[in-house]
Amino acid sequence: MPSSWSHEVWRLVTILAICLVLGLLQDRVLVYLLLGTSAGLGWYLYNLYRLHKWLAHPRSRDVPLEPGVWGDLYYLVLRMQAHNQARKRKLRDLLAQFRASAEALPDAAVALSNEWEIRWFNEAAVNLLNLRPGQDIGSPILNLFRSPDLSTYLEAGQFGRDLEINAPGNLELKLSVRVIPYGEHQWLLLAQDITERYRLERVRKDFVANVSHELRTPLTVLSGFIENLRHDDTAPECVQRWERPLALMDQQAERMRHIVEDLLLLAQLEGAESRPSQTRVDVAALAQTVVTDAGNCRPEGHAALHLEIGTDRQLLGEPGQLHSAFSNLVVNAVNYTPETGDITVKWYECGEGACFEVEDTGEGIAAEHLSRLTERFYRVDTGRSRKRGGTGLGLAIVKHVLQHHDAELEIVSQPGSGSRFICRFPGHRCIQPKQGQAANPQSG
Amino acid sequence: MDQSKLQQHYSQQYNTELEEVRTAVLRMGGLVEQQLERALSALQHGDSSQGEVVVANDYQVNALDVDIDDRCTTIIARRQPTASDLRLVMTVIKTTADLERIGDEAKRVARMAIRLSASDHGRSLFLQLEHLGDQVREMLHGVLDAYARMDVDQAIKVAHQDKRVDAEYENVLRQAITYMMEDPRSIPLILDVIWSARALERIGDRCCNISEYVIYFVKGKDVRHTSLDQMEKEVNA
Repeated sequence: MPSSWSHEVWRLVTILAICLVLGLLQDRVLVYLLLGTSAGLGWYLYNLYRLHKWLAHPRSRDVPLEPGVWGDLYYLVLRMQAHNQARKRKLRDLLAQFRASAEALPDAAVALSNEWEIRWFNEAAVNLLNLRPGQDIGSPILNLFRSPDLSTYLEAGQFGRDLEINAPGNLELKLSVRVIPYGEHQWLLLAQDITERYRLERVRKDFVANVSHELRTPLTVLSGFIENLRHDDTAPECVQRWERPLALMDQQAERMRHIVEDLLLLAQLEGAESRPSQTRVDVAALAQTVVTDAGNCRPEGHAALHLEIGTDRQLLGEPGQLHSAFSNLVVNAVNYTPETGDITVKWYECGEGACFEVEDTGEGIAAEHLSRLTERFYRVDTGRSRKRGGTGLGLAIVKHVLQHHDAELEIVSQPGSGSRFICRFPGHRCIQPKQGQAANPQSG
Repeated sequence: MDQSKLQQHYSQQYNTELEEVRTAVLRMGGLVEQQLERALSALQHGDSSQGEVVVANDYQVNALDVDIDDRCTTIIARRQPTASDLRLVMTVIKTTADLERIGDEAKRVARMAIRLSASDHGRSLFLQLEHLGDQVREMLHGVLDAYARMDVDQAIKVAHQDKRVDAEYENVLRQAITYMMEDPRSIPLILDVIWSARALERIGDRCCNISEYVIYFVKGKDVRHTSLDQMEKEVNA
């Protein structure tokens, strides 16, 4: 640039010098200098005006070609514009590419602002969520996707789990909705079509429930006749000869009946809404019953049972379900603890909520089994547990019951040092007993 | 209707209040939709527990109705709305009243579902009732969509649908009469079916009302108590 600047400076200096010479010749230096500077100023003003006009209407292609600083200025502005345009084109291509890839997603994607207003959505959202391109941008998503479940989900702000709901206006379509935060106060709502998965799951549940139900009747007939045969007084010889097979048949039929009953209970638990009736359950009394029953079911001898009640808080929930869950835990402990061992059943406060715990001094469980214990029919040691008459469904039932009560099951165990099964109930499920019917804290 | 129409006030607070009250109506609409869906599903599957949920949840609809009315009163008192704002507030007040009634009708259907779940008779009548229910549910969904988008075309479409609902209702009635003549013992049960059908038909009418409010808000024209043709003429004028 120095060349154009020196050009400019030289021009000014030349004009002023000519004016000075003319002024000296005519003896009117000041007048001529004034004329010279005025002409210079006029020239600059004129150029400034042209530049302004050109910038205001950049579409006019006639770029004034000027030597010196003015020409340079035009050139620089032009270069900057070209640069910007190239960058804009690049960004536009990038955005188009991104949108195209988002459009290709099979799941509905909706970008939401902090107020849950729709910023953008893809093609799948048009089909799955019934949104209209263009028109629905800017309106709150809850205006169009009006499910009360979705609004509680968004307001709760706990996006760890997916939400399964019906698509708006289409009961046939099941969606799994997930919200992901991105950027600052922006959210991406993803909705996946899970109709098929939902249907299969339902078929499976129905199948288990139906099969269990159908098996019950033949089993009852079988056990009835086995019972009759075992106590047939008219042919004592025969009874004596077939004593062992009959006893085994009876035992196995009984086991099958237990399995069918547990399967039915599980199917029922899965089918029920995750909001069991809100009855007050006196856990202290329930634990007492469960412990007594567990002791009675093994009359030939069992480990010593202890009961420690540390709080008189009660639970909001379904008494029948809680009974089967607690009873499964205690019976398990009785089954897996040698007669010389100890089993302690505790009910105490922990954190906001309360815990029901069954601790035994049995043989314990190795770490690799812990995560799979609540699966159906999962067995740590197949041969051994069948002999003890378990159905393999107990802990699955416990897990489902606890899920229905927003509770968690924690299992702490090491081989050789016993196990602890802890059910953690959250604070909103635990309430103080009503005045006048407070259970007396007891221990035994 | 573009959203910008609601955002033209200098007072940001006023805009928010108007937008909030509209969203609250749609929230109430969503709840009513769910109530109706549950009531119909209870009727379809003979599931009395679902019917009980509907009856138990009706108070939520009522609470929203009271809350929205309260907000509207506050807006009128504090902002003295005019023109389209006034129309919006009027529309909101009327819509909530209709939605609340729809909620009541859904509760009625749910009660019938609880009672009908005990018996196995008249299954084919239920099928007719299902058809009617599906139509009405579609109408309610459509009219709420029209309300959310302030979409006049959609509102007119809903008004057209009401004719089909009325025809379906006639069908149910005719069939019910045949049943009653064939077997007088079924009369108590069939009466319940007729009451449910009546409730559903009423829901259709209320959806029509809401679509008229949408037209009133967007076009500023009162198209109540006019025929469909006249309504369309007014809208397109």
